[in-house]
Amino acid sequence: MVYLTLQKSQKILASSRQVHKTAAHVVARSAPEETVTSSFASFIHAVRPEHLTKTVLYRSKRMILDSIGVGLMGSTTPVFDIALQYCRELYSSVAVSSVYGRPGMKLSPTLAAFTNGVATHSMDFDDTWHPATHPSGAVLPALLAASQMLPPSTKPNGLDFLLAFNVGLEVQGRLMHFSTEAHNIPKRFHPPSVVGTMGSAAATAKLLSLSMTQCAHALGIAASLAGAPMANAATQAKPLHIGNATRLGFEAALLAARGMEANPVILDDIPGCSGFSAFYSVYHPKPLTTPGDHHEFLLEKQDIAFKRFPAHLGMHWVVDAALSVRNLFINYAGSFSPSLIRTIVLKIPVSKYINRPFPSSEHQARHSFQFNACTALLDGEVGLSSFTESSIHRQELRELLDKVVVEHPEDNVANFDKMYGEVALLLHSGDVLTGKCDTFYGHWRKPLSRESLLKKFRSNASHVFPEEKVETIITMVDNLENMSDSSQLACSL
Amino acid sequence: FLSQTVTGNFANVIHGLNANHLTDQVIQRSKRMILDTLGVGLLGTSTEVYHKVKQYSKIYSSDISSTIWGHLDFRLPPLYAAFVNGVAVHSMDFDDTWHPATHPSGAVLPAVIALSEAFPQKKKISGLDLLVAFNVGIEVQGRLLRFSNEARNIPKRFHPPTVVGTMGSAAACAKLLALDQAKCKNALAIAASYAGAPLANAATQTKPLHIGNAAKHGLEAACLASQDLQGNKQILDMESGMGAFYTDYSPQSLPTLQSYAWLLDQQDVAIKRFPAHLGTHWVADAASSARRKLVESSDHMLPLDKIEKVIVKVPEVKYVNRPNANSEHEARHSFQFVACSALLDGSMSVQSFASENIHRPALRELLCKTQLEHPADNKPSFESLYCEVTVVLQDGNMISDRCDTFYGHWRKPLEKEDLEKKFQSNASEVLPPEATEGIIETVYNLEKVKDCSILSMFLSGQSARALSEKLRLL
Repeated sequence: MVYLTLQKSQKILASSRQVHKTAAHVVARSAPEETVTSSFASFIHAVRPEHLTKTVLYRSKRMILDSIGVGLMGSTTPVFDIALQYCRELYSSVAVSSVYGRPGMKLSPTLAAFTNGVATHSMDFDDTWHPATHPSGAVLPALLAASQMLPPSTKPNGLDFLLAFNVGLEVQGRLMHFSTEAHNIPKRFHPPSVVGTMGSAAATAKLLSLSMTQCAHALGIAASLAGAPMANAATQAKPLHIGNATRLGFEAALLAARGMEANPVILDDIPGCSGFSAFYSVYHPKPLTTPGDHHEFLLEKQDIAFKRFPAHLGMHWVVDAALSVRNLFINYAGSFSPSLIRTIVLKIPVSKYINRPFPSSEHQARHSFQFNACTALLDGEVGLSSFTESSIHRQELRELLDKVVVEHPEDNVANFDKMYGEVALLLHSGDVLTGKCDTFYGHWRKPLSRESLLKKFRSNASHVFPEEKVETIITMVDNLENMSDSSQLACSL
Repeated sequence: FLSQTVTGNFANVIHGLNANHLTDQVIQRSKRMILDTLGVGLLGTSTEVYHKVKQYSKIYSSDISSTIWGHLDFRLPPLYAAFVNGVAVHSMDFDDTWHPATHPSGAVLPAVIALSEAFPQKKKISGLDLLVAFNVGIEVQGRLLRFSNEARNIPKRFHPPTVVGTMGSAAACAKLLALDQAKCKNALAIAASYAGAPLANAATQTKPLHIGNAAKHGLEAACLASQDLQGNKQILDMESGMGAFYTDYSPQSLPTLQSYAWLLDQQDVAIKRFPAHLGTHWVADAASSARRKLVESSDHMLPLDKIEKVIVKVPEVKYVNRPNANSEHEARHSFQFVACSALLDGSMSVQSFASENIHRPALRELLCKTQLEHPADNKPSFESLYCEVTVVLQDGNMISDRCDTFYGHWRKPLEKEDLEKKFQSNASEVLPPEATEGIIETVYNLEKVKDCSILSMFLSGQSARALSEKLRLL
């Protein structure tokens, strides 16, 4: 069984430590407190449940619930099927970790994490943070899988679980603050594949109680597994970014637990030889303060956005803008009459991978300002069914898409904290109706209410589970900090 | 079909290349690479890093399984076999190097061998199939490296095997799986999302994982593509695709399939004579020659205490500039260490990196007297770099020697005997003589081998006598 192997390897680790005494000397000599990398390792190692504040607990439980719901929903997608089939064909043993939406089916821990991660991002329905990344999907699946892997005597309780989850988020957030590039919608590397992998490594290192040195090595090994190019966004391969982030970060922690060593200053600036800085053109690493009495988690100051429909976050602004102009139009004309519209002007920020005049697949449709605006105009709402094959190829929608013109006002920055969406209908009559959205409902400035969040979860989860089970999960997450054995959560999925 | 994108063109070529396209030179060179890689991998099974990944990978086991080189006692699913064997190959930095810079074989061979054992219908893969797939993997790497000027020099940001190696592995596996053009494209696209590890883990224990992961992830990408997973069909064309790994990026289409012009035909690989970064091979040859001159002029003894300074002229390569080496991984990435070691012993070997040799006082003393210089004309490129070692004596005398092309470099390739000698020395650490000879014979006749599973059997160290019989029947 996995955990026995893990325990055995601690013994091997002890003896191999002697062989690499000299390597250990190197780490010691570089005075742990002095490097950015070691400050991260210290944080991961030393932070305690007591450091979690009420706000952080509250927010992270919302994220966990949403992530699970989105993942369960995602277990009905073709990309998920492929990932699952792949994992099942190649591996069978040590199957201890649950797969979303498949009670009774288990996979080995890292593959369960992979599969569930793919599910989570399969429809682009998962949470988004600022600076931009999808934080929960990169961390939660690994923790769920790991919790089932640990022996009964050392099962993490709910608070341990929540702590590890937050370590994973915090590390992601802190890393993104190392580069001004990260503040804007990405162009080169997909952030979850960069910081998500590191967050997963940190979170699982925490859950597995690795030593400080092992935490540092987990980060180092994870860096060599990070980084996927943006070009696969808007394709079926994008969900793999989250699947791999959570899985590979987990692997990095497992390898570190077995004594694998990497560059002890991977997060620091290493002139002439890139470490984590390889993923950015501007890079200014800063140390994390070791948590004393309290630690200021980024999640405390900066909440997350939850999506109301399964599409890229940027779409949510244009949809809300489109819905408001649609109402104006209905008041004006009595009903939604597309024939009265000459041109639809979209005012959006510049971002190539979400500017798509005629998307031809669901993945492209989820990454198209034009598609989402027109769907909102036509239907008065955007939801799961907006992205089916038949919906995507509807004649009426195509006709509307034909009328769209895109503008990039200078003040509309490609940044999830600052951007806005504006939809203007230029009518044949010469009249112009406009709708603008600065902050959509679900954004961190206007968070979803508890009712809305639960509604989303119930809608998602009920695609695969009966009502009773759906409610059980809700109750469990609500009381997560009181659970004595957090692996029960994974078992219930 | 006319493919207008570079990505589509690559898919067409991967799909369209076959055994008839292989030239004699390409076959010859690739067999040398295969033999060397196997030997290096077998030796690598004795390393600590290998031991750790082996333990880790044992978590995973299944019905479908592939050989772990040098091990009869267990098998692993193809993905993890590729990973573990890949780590073995790069564990000591003993594997081949190409120009533009990467370690081409280690990223491809473990994956194709592992995959060849995993065909569900027990389909037989011939030696020729393996050779074609192997060469597709090498070729794709070489072509991708030519898309950026950055790639011509010794790397600074991403470790090339993790960028192009992953893509090469995906291409090779796609070829072996006989995927159609569309799936070849997707294999490349999916692989790109696994590519890219920062250079900072070079000179650490994690570096060997770069090759292990390249092999494993390329294989995974091909498998996912074969199950119809789709990615960006213009992955090679876009700046936000493969271009993400380079600051200058200009993708180009491959030559026509009509009498295909393989890169391996025009540009051979370098085979290492001792397990350390390629840059140190110039240093070793220059230092050994300097030592010879020194010893001749000093009564056939090395006047260690009379040495004032050792000056080593090399190009500027930060991650190989290491005045002190405390671990084997650091020692393998240190110009200074290799210079002193070669001066002391006259030559470099696997043993030069053993713990007791890394830490010997005489070496430490000599290291303190050693400094590097970076002449402006010494470019950090494996095609053009040189090394000059000057020993300055206390009496003011200076003995100097220079190496432009070390023995094993593509300009001065290893002789057949020396390649074999290296292989035997490596492989015999873990395999019985019948197996090592079986591998040599199989690889030398690879294009005639009807079922390459025999190679895997030798690699596992299976009772060789029965197998040698089998081999004779070919």
